[in-house]
Amino acid sequence: MAQALGQPNSPVVEMRDITKRFGPVLANDRVSLDLWPGEIHAVLGENGAGKTTLMNVLAGMYQPDSGTIRIAGEPVRLDSPAAALRRGIGAVYQHFTLVPNLSILENVALGAEGGFVLDLAPAEAKVASMLADFGLDVSPRTEIRHLALGQRQRVEIIKVLLRGGRVLLLDEPTSVLTPGEVQSLLDLLRRLRDQGVAVVLITHKLGEALAVSDRVTILRAGRNAGDLGPDVMSGADRESVRARIIAQMFGSSPAAETDDSSMDHLPSVIPTPPRVIPTKEESRRPSRRRPEEPRFLADARHDRGAPAAARDEPTSETLLSLRNISTLGDRGAPALHDLSLDLLRGEVFGIAGVDGNGQKELGEVIAGQRPVTSGRVLLEGADITNRGVAAATRLGIGYVTDDRLHEGSVAESSVADNVALKSIGRKPFSNGFWLNRRAMEQQARRLIAEFDVKTPGPHTPIGMLSGGNIQKLLLARELALEPKVLVCNKPTTGLDLRTTQFVIRSLREQANAGNVVVLIASELDELIEISDRIGVMYSGQLVAVMPRAEADPETLGHLMLGGARRPRKASA
Amino acid sequence: MTIGGIPLAGFLTAMLAAGLVAAAPLVLAALGEAVGERSGLLNLGIEGMMLSGAFFGFTAAYLTGSAVWGVLAGIAAGSLLGTLFAVLTVSLRVDQVLVGLAITIFGAGLTAFLYRDVFGGQNPSLSLDTSRIAIPGLSQIPIIGDAMFNQSLLFYIAFALVPVFAFVLARTRFGLQVRAVGAYPFAADAAGVNVTRIRYQAALIAGAMAGVAGAFLSVADLKIFQIGMTVGTGFIALALTMVGGWNPYRILLAAILFGLLRSLGNGLQIIGVNVRTEFITMLPYIGIMVALALLAGKTSLPAALGVPYARGRR
Amino acid sequence: MTRALSPSRFAPLLTSLAAIAAALVLGGIFLALRGKDPLAAYGVLVSRGLGTSYGITETLIRMAPLLIVSAGLLVSLRSGVWNIGIDGQLLVGALLAGVAGAAIAGQVPNPVMWLIAALAGMAGGLLWALVPGILRVRWGLNEIITTLMMNYVALNVTSWLVKGPVKDPDVVPPQTRLISREMRLPDVAGTGVHVGLLVGLVVVVLVTILFRHTVIGFMLDVVGRNRQAAIHAGMPVNRLTLVALLASGAMAGLAGANDILGVKGLFQGNWNPGYGFAAFALVYLARLNSLWLIPFAYFLSFLVIGGEMMARPLGIPTYFVEMLEGLMLLCFAVAAWVERMRSPYARAEEVETGPANAGEPPGPLISEPLLEPVARVAGGPS
Repeated sequence: MAQALGQPNSPVVEMRDITKRFGPVLANDRVSLDLWPGEIHAVLGENGAGKTTLMNVLAGMYQPDSGTIRIAGEPVRLDSPAAALRRGIGAVYQHFTLVPNLSILENVALGAEGGFVLDLAPAEAKVASMLADFGLDVSPRTEIRHLALGQRQRVEIIKVLLRGGRVLLLDEPTSVLTPGEVQSLLDLLRRLRDQGVAVVLITHKLGEALAVSDRVTILRAGRNAGDLGPDVMSGADRESVRARIIAQMFGSSPAAETDDSSMDHLPSVIPTPPRVIPTKEESRRPSRRRPEEPRFLADARHDRGAPAAARDEPTSETLLSLRNISTLGDRGAPALHDLSLDLLRGEVFGIAGVDGNGQKELGEVIAGQRPVTSGRVLLEGADITNRGVAAATRLGIGYVTDDRLHEGSVAESSVADNVALKSIGRKPFSNGFWLNRRAMEQQARRLIAEFDVKTPGPHTPIGMLSGGNIQKLLLARELALEPKVLVCNKPTTGLDLRTTQFVIRSLREQANAGNVVVLIASELDELIEISDRIGVMYSGQLVAVMPRAEADPETLGHLMLGGARRPRKASA
Repeated sequence: MTIGGIPLAGFLTAMLAAGLVAAAPLVLAALGEAVGERSGLLNLGIEGMMLSGAFFGFTAAYLTGSAVWGVLAGIAAGSLLGTLFAVLTVSLRVDQVLVGLAITIFGAGLTAFLYRDVFGGQNPSLSLDTSRIAIPGLSQIPIIGDAMFNQSLLFYIAFALVPVFAFVLARTRFGLQVRAVGAYPFAADAAGVNVTRIRYQAALIAGAMAGVAGAFLSVADLKIFQIGMTVGTGFIALALTMVGGWNPYRILLAAILFGLLRSLGNGLQIIGVNVRTEFITMLPYIGIMVALALLAGKTSLPAALGVPYARGRR
Repeated sequence: MTRALSPSRFAPLLTSLAAIAAALVLGGIFLALRGKDPLAAYGVLVSRGLGTSYGITETLIRMAPLLIVSAGLLVSLRSGVWNIGIDGQLLVGALLAGVAGAAIAGQVPNPVMWLIAALAGMAGGLLWALVPGILRVRWGLNEIITTLMMNYVALNVTSWLVKGPVKDPDVVPPQTRLISREMRLPDVAGTGVHVGLLVGLVVVVLVTILFRHTVIGFMLDVVGRNRQAAIHAGMPVNRLTLVALLASGAMAGLAGANDILGVKGLFQGNWNPGYGFAAFALVYLARLNSLWLIPFAYFLSFLVIGGEMMARPLGIPTYFVEMLEGLMLLCFAVAAWVERMRSPYARAEEVETGPANAGEPPGPLISEPLLEPVARVAGGPS
């Protein structure tokens, strides 16, 4: 069938059983991927599914721990980006690899072979014509920093092509583009495909993948979770393809549960059968349960033989109010745009969204860690806009960051010190001047016991603890301050099941006590399970807010990927 | 017309000459430092490298009677310490400030120790034929002629290296790679540039140039070695590199201004003008800080300055 | 102190001791290459430096300013601030102390004079640190270059002052008026060591208390170890940075006052003891642990004094010790690398990877992210 589509009958790149581990994290677990010339191949998956790692392996940035890579049938070792480039594989990273203070021409020439003296003249004509061809009306001598992001991206592509790239890897290429730019990028990719380039589109935006891809590979938790070949992708039934991909990416009936009978529908053109291996987490979870029963409840019941934390209905009394909030991200680009939200006493408000759509910034705004450029933050009616972290903490706002190692904790400092970090200037940890080390230690011991933290003791540097135990401590630290509003950014990432349950239960209890919990999470099942309401963020805005009853992974996934609002959504 | 009993023209010539001679080692050291910093290496060892260049240059010149051997020894000493710097900061990724200061302390101690040990209590001076080379015609120009065109060979080389370095940084593949490695090592790596190799080369150049600068002081200019004779020249070169925005021509300008201010201090003292020399000698240092403060936010540092690089690591 | 004794607590110390041992071996090889007997040299060093009361007395006298400046440097380095301007701050402090002391000597009781002179010295050092501090906090100008430049400004300013406005008019050489011997700091009873040593020890203890038992010390540590965590925890990061630099400058000034009041009695033009470099070696070898400063300060002072005593009989220039200091720091750099490779953090660091993090857009001139936090580099105490 591949031949019927007019393509050579062998893949240009064959990756087999690629495994890559970072410390305890298994980023790629026996992942396989074949790339064909003249095809656009989308690699889809959630954040942390292992897409970028896989790409880095192919681009020569990382060395796989095991697995083989063949290019045109020949086994190769890609031990540096230079080696990959020599084999015709070029990558366009999410954070561009263009040196801002060098010109376009210099960036293209960088790394190319040649004499000592840089003779840019011959390349200049070529670059100029490529620029024109790619619709860029700039001189090759323009410095990169003067270009818009979309233009830089094209320069990246030109760079790869001029170095002889026949395999073009693009990591989330549309994340920095405006809708118009996205369209023209996709057109460009189609053109490159028609010229015989193998284009790899790494993305979590389903619409784009569906629009241009000839082939789709889905990764989930570091493993292959599905493959769709050209016959499926070019088939008429877009909706069923979409549904199938969403199910494989997010669904509560993950690929792990697809049995062999479902494979009958898959095209025979796929060179190897998709590897369907249950993820570690899933294999540990008791998966025999009624589909409509929330996974977490089922697990909790299974483990404890008792119902999980009971749910009290939230009140209708507003505790924290965000009014028309706008703010900038770390790189100075707008991160939140005119966002308004009322948080009610007693509720867990879940925030779903693909990374980088403003969730982190929203959390930081509430915590006082990120100043707003406009809008107001009201706590129980009092204006606390831009009062800073110290004031927010004092007023009863807690924040558990997702960067537990570099922001939430001081790795070299002891558990006790880290427990006291945010309220060191207050009783019981100090009288404002003198530390009360005993109180710090006691508090640490109390929290270690209460939250079942595995640590040699309160004096162990927190960096020596496992991620889950650090997470428990950070959560414990915030809860101990008895916050009225607690923002948690991905508190369960990388945690084992028991710890996850524990965290979830703690948050639920916190809300039941009449407080607000804002939970930013990427695990949709978990989010739906615990939240009273769920908001979806996309491009710095809350695109939908819905009560729990209306939320399901498919709906949220659709909205997270930039899908249109459903008519019945609740307004923010 | 005379000033303080000295003919004005002669005074100006002497001042200009002294200023340029003071600027030459700064130019040499700062050019090397510019390459180093452009590649992301902040070399606080420059002072120790200069001292080593001065000492080993002096000693070699003393033993061989040849200024050429002296300068070569200076280069060798600086290069060795430059390589040491690269091993520790690039390969072992130890903090650059710590390593730099360690090299400076080591260089100061080593040269002082060896000088005392080798030469005992004597303070010999070189009797070399490093006589001035007058450039026919140009050296006859009133006032500036004698100052600019009747100097030692190394003096000419120092200033001639400015366009060379400007060319290397701007127009060669190596220069391009240096700039890329210092601004965005990941991008350079992704493009196939060997970041480690480029940084080693840059450190070597920085060290060698600091070594020549030192040799200039002891072999070409003063013809003696004194313990701690650089008195911060290396650090000043480092600051001038930043003030000059890593651009060889602007570094040259900054170094000459610095040199002239310094010679002005001495000159005014000689002719008995009632201004405290110290006021004038400290002007350049204050000038450097003011310039840096004014430039802050306007010029960009090599973004990866001071930051070790390892592939796939923060 | 409440901290439990964990097996790894003295591991950082081993790194320093290994570095010292390696430096001594390298230095010995060096001596051998120069045709000297290293064993004899180290033998004399030890026998004279440790085995004679003169050696011990001189060592203890020398220790006082070293303890004070290194305690100050430790405050700044632990807070992530590179104060390389110690020498300048010390000079200005010494000059002001000399002037203030001489001005009131004999008119007030000696202890009052000492106190005022010490305060003047601290004010001088603080003032000298204030300039780089403001440049850093207001304009984001990294303090490495500015503190270095302030050293040279200090040399010139003090040299000018001592030649002119504050010169003792009764003598020819440029110096301040002499504080007579009987008005200087008395010796600790029964020794030849002036009480400056006690001041040094007190300063070290105060710094230890600062970091162990006060809120501000706690916060300084956090800023030095992880600036982002400090921001996350709502600490006034800029103010803390300034405080660290100023405290460090004030202590350098105090060390200057100590030398004036205890040893010299006056400030001379061109006097520049250059403790800064030794202090750097000291603070790193002590692994940023203030109490460990005491034995290491004794050791370095012993080297200096022993080195002076060894010079004559063996014909080994005193600068040998300065070279050893440099070698120790270089060996320390290697040893710290070995330690890092073996530490659990090295592995933890590997997890946080990704080219996405590998480059930053260019920042403003010499801004904050220039360097890794010092505390991380030096691997300070927990």
